[in-house]
Amino acid sequence: MLGMVGGTAVAAALAGCSTLLGEDDQSSGGEADVPDEPIQAGLQTYTEGAASVLGLQAQYGAEIAIQRINDAGGIAGREMELDVAHEADAAVENYTQFVDEGKEVTFGPISSGGHAALAPEVESQGVVNVGTDGTVTTLYEDTVPDPTYSFRFQNYDVMEVVTAAREAVARIGADNIDSIAGINPNYAFGQDEWKFFKLAIQQLVGDVDVVYEGFPELLADDMSTHITEVNDNEPDVTFTSVWGGDVTTLMNQAAANDMFDNTQLVGSILYSAVDELDQDVVEQAQAFSGSRNWYWDFPNGSRWSPNADLFEQAQSEYDVVPTAHFMSGYGAVTAWATATAKTVDILGEWPSQEQIARSLEDHGFHTPAGYHVMGSDHQGKSNAYSGSLEWDDDLGRAVLEDVNVFTPQEVAPPIGTDAEEWINSW
Amino acid sequence: MVELANFAIHTLNGIQYGFILFLIASGLTIILGILDVLNLAHGELYAVGAYVAFSVFGYVSGAFANPEGFVGLATFLVLSLLAAVVAAAIMVPLGLLLEAVFLRPLYGRDEVYQLVLTFGLLLILKDMNKLIWGPLPVRAGDIYSGINRIPAAEFVGLTFPTFKLVIIAVGAVVVVGLFYFFNRTKLGRIIRATAIDREMATAIGVSTDRVFTLVFAMGAFFAGFAGAMALPQSNASLEMGANPLVLSFVIIVIGGLGSLRGAFVGAMIVGVLSRWAVWQYPPAEIAAPFAIMALILLVKPNGLFGTWGETA
Repeated sequence: MLGMVGGTAVAAALAGCSTLLGEDDQSSGGEADVPDEPIQAGLQTYTEGAASVLGLQAQYGAEIAIQRINDAGGIAGREMELDVAHEADAAVENYTQFVDEGKEVTFGPISSGGHAALAPEVESQGVVNVGTDGTVTTLYEDTVPDPTYSFRFQNYDVMEVVTAAREAVARIGADNIDSIAGINPNYAFGQDEWKFFKLAIQQLVGDVDVVYEGFPELLADDMSTHITEVNDNEPDVTFTSVWGGDVTTLMNQAAANDMFDNTQLVGSILYSAVDELDQDVVEQAQAFSGSRNWYWDFPNGSRWSPNADLFEQAQSEYDVVPTAHFMSGYGAVTAWATATAKTVDILGEWPSQEQIARSLEDHGFHTPAGYHVMGSDHQGKSNAYSGSLEWDDDLGRAVLEDVNVFTPQEVAPPIGTDAEEWINSW
Repeated sequence: MVELANFAIHTLNGIQYGFILFLIASGLTIILGILDVLNLAHGELYAVGAYVAFSVFGYVSGAFANPEGFVGLATFLVLSLLAAVVAAAIMVPLGLLLEAVFLRPLYGRDEVYQLVLTFGLLLILKDMNKLIWGPLPVRAGDIYSGINRIPAAEFVGLTFPTFKLVIIAVGAVVVVGLFYFFNRTKLGRIIRATAIDREMATAIGVSTDRVFTLVFAMGAFFAGFAGAMALPQSNASLEMGANPLVLSFVIIVIGGLGSLRGAFVGAMIVGVLSRWAVWQYPPAEIAAPFAIMALILLVKPNGLFGTWGETA
């Protein structure tokens, strides 16, 4: 049973701690001038279709975080209620609808393109949005370079591809990587990931031949052309940022074409398909996979009970192995809730949107994944996890073994530094 | 220098893709050619077929976990193909129902009514899939890996999944069967006659209502069969009907609206050329089929084979 010193009961509950030690909760919620009604929150995520493999995980994480907030007495006594909207291709419309309905905070989206469209609208309408995903690097570099109300909790693209590049070098060795190939989804996210992976691996190992670059359509049902070219070129490393159902399609078809005999597959989020991967394919692939800012079994639950508790709750309530996208939802809610609770304590009253936004900047908070910081650039940064994808008979699912952890300093540019410049400066 | 083996594998990939496209487009084109209905719900019939196949394949996987040996693998293959046929057959009553209840009252009205109706059916079928099978994608990976255990292509020194060879073989059988049906059987000739001249067919005693119902049910069958055959190497999801619908339009435009021959040739052209195009220039993945269509229409503005006529 873990206890937490300092902070609020809400912060302790969201960190996965069962008690607030010393009862030094400085919360003034009891005396603060706050509205009586519950906090209305909105989450947009993919609730159906292929992308719901990620989207529902984010929803489950957000729901459990809100459940924990309410069980801890709410934020300054105010409980939270969550409305969930199917993201579809309507990120801006969903957000506008939430604002029109009087939501005090919104979370989401999953899509990179949707997030790029949404962020300027958030700045225009002025209701805080904490992004769960939509991790394209350019969001706060180009699209909204000086945000006020738009935040993103999950590690972004450059972090997970630098993690993947460092992972490949650590496991294979720089001297053994002379050639690379890429099979990445044909839209902003996939192109962003491949661009930064190439940059990072070239900086880490020197001259590398890029022998093949394939961009299968999102939700492609046939990736055999790309697999055939990988087989023909036999690159030392094949990087992929496919996710969800596309992971299963790629890995099943790669196994059927003996691709894993010809290359080492390294993926930024292969683990997002954990509930769909088959044993024979996992064992044949021996792939390396990232898991963004959380892997449910590292540290193992026997040494880190918040992980064990969250895993068991996800299993019992939703029958899923929680992935990094689960933490995307959980962490986005946690970021906002802990910052808001802190601000109520300081002000003694319910804060405005601008005050909440300011308190989210440089805000540090805990989840079962560890300590996170929402930077002054509005980008959340956390440790990044990566491991060897293996099969676990007891779980009946793939797991990550031999997990490596990379700190934000190792995989993210300093605030104010362009990601491409940063990698080129290595 | 292009290696022959590499070229052969890319070409086989294209042929396999072409047969899947033909299975989908054949239903669309015979419905268009004979009923004169542009069925926007055709992609969803393909999706329903995949979802139904997911359920039917489950019985095969359950009965034959980890098939081994020649007899075991051969039995698994036959049962899997039978399961795909059963899944497609389940589409027949659905097709009968859709045609008799929804489409029949609209024959003779402006095409806009058909488009609105079939678009509505598209949405209803999609929601039906969600209601029955849930919001998440579903897979039949055991069928794919089970059939791939048969080492067919290894005999000629190629690394190529047996499942794709099965699709090619089954597709070829379907092509031959369809052409035989329309050109050599009495029922096929009646259908063709109805397509060519409805009034004359009615005058000699053909029930056009029955013919139309049968043709729509056939279209649903082949769309469902395509979904069933495509499922094992990928998955079934709520969005899966959109791309096949668009590509089917591309194919029947290339081949000539309503021409079965055109659909076959168009599917093979799109299948093989698009795979070659992606091989040579990977960013062309999405654009390749449309570029091929544009090039062919520049030379043959009415498509390669025109419309339904004296031969299928």
